[in-house]
Amino acid sequence: MNTALNYDTRREYDLTKDLQDLASWTGLRPAMPSETAREELLLRKLGPRGWGRVYHFRYFYSQGWSEDSRPPLSPRALDAFTRFLERITFPSGVLPSVFLTDASGLELSWEDRSGQSVQVEFRSESIEFYRAASGEEGEVSFEQLETLATRLSA
Amino acid sequence: MSDGFPIPAPNRLPVRIDPCPIVEAIFEVRFTSKVPLATLPGMLYAQIREKYPQQKQLPVAQLPEQIRQQDPTLANLPLLQFLGNDFLIQAGPSMVSLVTKPNEYPGWSAIHQELEWFLEKLKLADVVNETERIGVRYIDFFSTDVLNHFIMGLQVNGQPLTSSECAMTTVLRQGALAMRLQITNSAIIGTKEGPKRGTVLDVDSWFSALDAKVFENGLQRFDEAHHTIKSLFFGLLKPEFLATLNPEYK
Repeated sequence: MNTALNYDTRREYDLTKDLQDLASWTGLRPAMPSETAREELLLRKLGPRGWGRVYHFRYFYSQGWSEDSRPPLSPRALDAFTRFLERITFPSGVLPSVFLTDASGLELSWEDRSGQSVQVEFRSESIEFYRAASGEEGEVSFEQLETLATRLSA
Repeated sequence: MSDGFPIPAPNRLPVRIDPCPIVEAIFEVRFTSKVPLATLPGMLYAQIREKYPQQKQLPVAQLPEQIRQQDPTLANLPLLQFLGNDFLIQAGPSMVSLVTKPNEYPGWSAIHQELEWFLEKLKLADVVNETERIGVRYIDFFSTDVLNHFIMGLQVNGQPLTSSECAMTTVLRQGALAMRLQITNSAIIGTKEGPKRGTVLDVDSWFSALDAKVFENGLQRFDEAHHTIKSLFFGLLKPEFLATLNPEYK
């Protein structure tokens, strides 16, 4: 917000060497002051590459991206995605992949303990999921986000 | 204390204190826009020009759009101000805000009334696609070092740390509302009488996307955030310090 006072814009993180390369190609910048917890969560659950991709989707795909002039990443999808990540437990050593969808949502994809695919798509009004091991698929509301995360946890 | 929130809420809240330390209060909506940046100010201005006839471009507008959008520290800054008699309206590519004039806090009922009007006009402008965040920020200034008059402080080895340059920042959460609280005793602030040094208490609060839909619960969210910040402010003050601010109760 605009004000007479400026926020401290120093880096929230000191990048370690293995992250510095990523920083140079994505032009990563420090988290906004209110977003340190979210950035930390993304790093922990998705690893540096996933963190960088989400950053990229947020700030580099603005209004009118793609030939079809799509809207920017849905804030509600991003919020739901973040809350889901807070609650989900991935199999040990698994770093999920994250994609920007055509509907300006986010898709999270990983392999469960049996090596089978699990996919969750966060849209602006709901969440869709697919679990290859059981063939289960469906759509849930944001109110059911916590239950879904528990169901899909390792 | 309530719900594990570390700052106790006072039993009753003053309706006025004198001198009033509020420098600025900002009521902001961030959103994804239905229209390109070039169109947004015009669509908004068409709705608000009767009360906010004057326009002023802010310095950040001089930066290229691509650089602004890709830098999170710039992406949500306003580019334009519309000036009215009692408030300012600010607009950027993905945000609008209603701002009180510096050191002229008009009181909550006037703000509430203006917010109601502003949200109606924003709806008519038809620029909001999806709400990203609803935020309220209050900045208070005391012209002396009043750190030791707050119930929150820094300690070293169990002893209060008193220094002429001291700053504290923390993020607190009450229900769906997140609050970034920042206190510093070495702020310099511009006033009509020239720059003054003193203590700043800055509370920036927000509801995130899943808890905020500007045209469904926007006004209610602004009310909630205002009440929580007010309670936080008075909860932070030691009673003997509050007494020096001549509180008036209903």
